Amino acid sequence: MSAKIDRQHRDSIAVEDCEIIANEAWPGNQWRLRLRSSTIAARALPGSFVHLRCDPELPMRRPMSLMRAEAGVIEMLYKEVGHGTRLLAGKKPGENLNLIGPIGRGFTPVPERPFNLLIGGGVGIPPIFFFAHHLQRNPPPGSDADSILVLLGSELPFPFATRPAQTPVPGAVQDPTLIDGAAMRDLDEKAIASRLASRSGFEGCHFGHVGDLARLWLDGLDRTWRDRVAIHACGPLAMLEACVALAHQYDLPCRISLEESMACAVGGCAGCTVRIRKGTGVTMQRVCVDGPVFDGRCVVFQSELRNEDASPTNSSPLVDKTL
Amino acid sequence: MTPDPHDRRSLRTDFCGLAFDTPLVLLSGCVGFGEEYTRIEGFSNRDAGAICLKGTTLHPRLGNDPPRVRETPSGMLNSIGLQNPGARAVIDEILPRLDFSETRFIANLSGSTVEEYADLARCFDDSPIDAIEINISCPNVRAGGVAFGNDPEMSQRVVEVCRKETSKPLIIKLSPNQTDIASNARGCIEAGADALAVVNTFMGMAIDVESRKPLLGAGQGGLSGPAIKPMALLKVHQVYRVAKPHGIPIIGQGGIVSAEDALEFMIAGASAVGIGTALFYDPLVCVRINEGLVDYLKRHRIDGIDRIVGTLESKDR
Repeated sequence: MSAKIDRQHRDSIAVEDCEIIANEAWPGNQWRLRLRSSTIAARALPGSFVHLRCDPELPMRRPMSLMRAEAGVIEMLYKEVGHGTRLLAGKKPGENLNLIGPIGRGFTPVPERPFNLLIGGGVGIPPIFFFAHHLQRNPPPGSDADSILVLLGSELPFPFATRPAQTPVPGAVQDPTLIDGAAMRDLDEKAIASRLASRSGFEGCHFGHVGDLARLWLDGLDRTWRDRVAIHACGPLAMLEACVALAHQYDLPCRISLEESMACAVGGCAGCTVRIRKGTGVTMQRVCVDGPVFDGRCVVFQSELRNEDASPTNSSPLVDKTL
Repeated sequence: MTPDPHDRRSLRTDFCGLAFDTPLVLLSGCVGFGEEYTRIEGFSNRDAGAICLKGTTLHPRLGNDPPRVRETPSGMLNSIGLQNPGARAVIDEILPRLDFSETRFIANLSGSTVEEYADLARCFDDSPIDAIEINISCPNVRAGGVAFGNDPEMSQRVVEVCRKETSKPLIIKLSPNQTDIASNARGCIEAGADALAVVNTFMGMAIDVESRKPLLGAGQGGLSGPAIKPMALLKVHQVYRVAKPHGIPIIGQGGIVSAEDALEFMIAGASAVGIGTALFYDPLVCVRINEGLVDYLKRHRIDGIDRIVGTLESKDR
């Protein structure tokens, strides 16, 4: 065969049995799961995820993003929402879980945008936390020590320790929450600026959506400052749509991490595809291996579909040939 | 001398003139266009005798609205809706990237009219593909698919027109959602089928009781996984009785997750067995099943896997 065959994708995802170090309950049926891992921990990048067998009795795995991956340990956050996560919540330290991973294209800095605004909501917080640490350790060209701002939102109690912020928020800040609100302790201790938002009235948190808090911060910046910013977000769809709207309003690049029901997680079943604009048409892309992080301004949200003809058309330049 | 556990010579089988290294066939819709699972470390296309590529239509299709997959007790529902880049792209851009020395590749074709089936068969006849599987059983499209597969006359017409267009082995994938699968199988054989795939998914649905809405974007989907195994096994048994006199082999499929499951299907009459949903649970399942089959043959002192096909003993013997 004359065509050059690209085989780089082969053997890129490991299958690993991982021992549970801790499976820790937080308020609101939220759990933090720490596992011993050699291969996946060594290969994981921010925004990549694992496909986890919650219990040998279940026919399907569950995709979970990584909160951290270092020194032979990986950590995830999950919410107990159904049968699978309920079984997972019953697992004890010492038991093994079977994982495949790391999977997917994660968060990367945007060229010419040294300042990264990271926005996370609910169980979408983990990859944002991972990316913040990664950016601090691997600062993109032109960025300084304080070129990261992490804004996190949750209606449930935050599944991590918080404290009154000591790390100041960069930029021209006027809003009281941004000046001296609460921060995620882990990030604050490492001098990464973070602030919190919730409509549940938690102390030190901005009362409202996390997207509103992002808007307050962006509003305080002058044009030159803003032109250095890129948005990276992970969370519920409504939050992601709000982030994309902000990106449009301020003309900022915006990368968002998507979630979809998933069967294989290796690109084989087309169960997790989303619609992505490409040129004048729409292509179907798989959240698992083409994502989970996409250019937010190209994502076709379900709310948009309801307003247009959603039926498949033969004329659409469907390009799904990336394996 | 201890036999080599990796020696799989006893699993080699001839299927419609194609040399399969093992009787395992990776099923259409589960493994994309043949390269996706090679991402998994330890997975090899060589662990399967053949791979059925993703269902392909004449023109590109975006597929159904999400959610497209849903776990159910011992199984899953899917309603992908034949998302694919269209026959031309598959032949021109995907087939050249496959390594045909690793396994046999089978195209899976789906039309919304009889003419489209004929066009598709003609396109793929002029391609390096090893065999053609005609999908007259997709439960997730409005036109064609299962609507053809549940109508014996239409099934026969589709097979007839495809037969005229190709000399490649022609496999007909039958729907379990019909009253008399055996007589439909007989019709397909008379119309020129070389082999039968038994069975596609069973139609099903799931509802979110809080919102009272269907849990799949398309409202309904196809059920697969261990939940359907006993039903699929019976269908294979029924079809084998009409296919055997014609020497027409069957790819038995439906919820196979272990060597024992695979053996059940082969004893019931399948010459090869399909692996689909099991991959989602265990991407290395083929290695495990192949080992189990080799071990079984050794224990029963049988020198080739094809010797067990259709060896079901009657209860009273």
